[in-house]
Amino acid sequence: MSTRSAWRALHYSAKRRTFQPATPYRCFSCTRQAFDQAKPDHERMTHFGFTNVPESEKESRVGAVFSSVASSYDNMNDLMSLGIHRLWKDHFVRSLNPGTPVANRPANAKDQGWNILDIAGGTGDIAFRMLDHATNINHDLETRVTISDINADMLAEGRKRSTATPYYNTPRLSFVEANAEHMPHIPDASIDLYTVVFGIRNFTDKQAALNEAFRVLKPGGVFACMEFSKVENPVFDAVYKRWNFSAIPLIGQVVAGDRDSYQYLVESIERFPSQEEFRGMIQKAGFMIPGKGYENLTGGIAAIHKGIKPVTQV
Amino acid sequence: MASLPRLPGPRQALSSIQSIRPTRPFHTIHQRASASPSSLRNSPRNQPFKTTPTTPTRTLSPIQIRTYHSPLHPRLPPHEYTNSQTAILTASLPHIPTHGFTAAALTRGARDAGFLDVSVQLLPRGEFDLILFWLASRRGLLRGRVEDGSVFGAAGEGLSVEEKVKILVLERLKMNIDVRGVWQDVRPSLKCPYSETSLSPLLELHALSNDILTLAGDSAVDATWYARRMALGAIYASAEVVMTRDPSPGLEETEAFVRRRFEDKEVLRGKVEGVGSWVGFWGNTVVGVGRSWGLKI
Repeated sequence: MSTRSAWRALHYSAKRRTFQPATPYRCFSCTRQAFDQAKPDHERMTHFGFTNVPESEKESRVGAVFSSVASSYDNMNDLMSLGIHRLWKDHFVRSLNPGTPVANRPANAKDQGWNILDIAGGTGDIAFRMLDHATNINHDLETRVTISDINADMLAEGRKRSTATPYYNTPRLSFVEANAEHMPHIPDASIDLYTVVFGIRNFTDKQAALNEAFRVLKPGGVFACMEFSKVENPVFDAVYKRWNFSAIPLIGQVVAGDRDSYQYLVESIERFPSQEEFRGMIQKAGFMIPGKGYENLTGGIAAIHKGIKPVTQV
Repeated sequence: MASLPRLPGPRQALSSIQSIRPTRPFHTIHQRASASPSSLRNSPRNQPFKTTPTTPTRTLSPIQIRTYHSPLHPRLPPHEYTNSQTAILTASLPHIPTHGFTAAALTRGARDAGFLDVSVQLLPRGEFDLILFWLASRRGLLRGRVEDGSVFGAAGEGLSVEEKVKILVLERLKMNIDVRGVWQDVRPSLKCPYSETSLSPLLELHALSNDILTLAGDSAVDATWYARRMALGAIYASAEVVMTRDPSPGLEETEAFVRRRFEDKEVLRGKVEGVGSWVGFWGNTVVGVGRSWGLKI
């Protein structure tokens, strides 16, 4: 009998008791966060991986990440993607088919070859491939690539690697340190092909970079972007997420001795918009979208996006 | 009682029926809803060529599918390429006889249309798009020629459906005269089992045979609907192969080939009908004999 009354009392109190804390809910684990958000903040925030940082800070933080990974960049890419990134990059360059074959070349054109701008291409992965394709496949010795990167360490890595290519110290290859959101040194309508490969994810303001791309491209010029994207098959997605969040930071810690940078890498992949959203951003910048607008690689781990600047009047 | 809507009187009802019947058929409501975001159409910068209003589609299928067909509907456009794509492809057509259905023809076309060499990226499937555009635009051209009366001429009323079909097939084949030297190279890529494009050439062949039969006034609504389209598709496809090896300037040999194939088709139809009536006769006889023996069938 006594147990029943005790149970009833407990039951009753559990059901009916309303507790009004004097201060709003605040547990130990979220106190810091609450304090951070309470701080008056006049600056626009952006995401850095899963954390929010002021826009002015993101650039330097991304810079720090890439400065620390620059030297081991290539080995890490091979390990993280099991070598598949090379296939993707080859496919990307092949599908763009840079360079004009000799037979197709107009005899009296004033500027021969393509003017390619490779944004965020510090280590030259894409630039060397494009020059190789133009030279060896299309026999076009005029096509030139400007590698632009915001990070001096990555550019230094690219310069070092360029000494092993036949394009070292030729006018066909040049390096520029610049922010892709604002490139006053590049005139309007001067670029045939604008590529950004695994880079736009790290930009502070992606739309501004797209608008800048639209500005520097010639009418009819192509914006081509390869970036990590969303996996469409849910089963494969689960496996991929597991790999991303468990294996990649570990590989980073073991091989490059830098877990945080690779943690940022996988978080930024997770935060990047889906194929459809990013296509919408490209359209918003004014580009025409060919067909579906994107091509999934390896089930959507990466996707190639393309946009063409319209020719206004013929 | 007052709140119920009053039914219209018979005269009113009649006039309201007449008012809802369209004097001019609408075609927009029958088109497949476009899945693309409308921002592409709203953006003024994305419509550099103001030729025809086109709806960008997600699939880039060259052939539209309509759930309900009526002869009152205006015809669908033969392809769904956007204006800029059409500009490049149209400018590429004159380069086909010299360069074939290749990326080189596309590059030259892009240059002629005021684009850059790199702009051929606008066509995700490259030369395959050029082939499909060629097929679709020739089909549209054939349709246009029939509608302005330059194919059948004044004698058009007296011709039978069969004769009209034959004339249309030859008319379509004659459009290929300039490209017959390079058409042989196209056939492998039409049969190439691409992931999403393997069906397109077949759909295009169906669309062509469907168009030819419709333009000839064929009105079959039974199982022969399929048989006719398949037979015509087979005849046209084989005639294309013959055409690539036909040295005569006016395609006389191909014409003779087509004539023979139509005769074959008639013979085959006669045989099939004969077999059908034979089977029907014996079936009926067996049933009749069985019944006369008292079987409950």
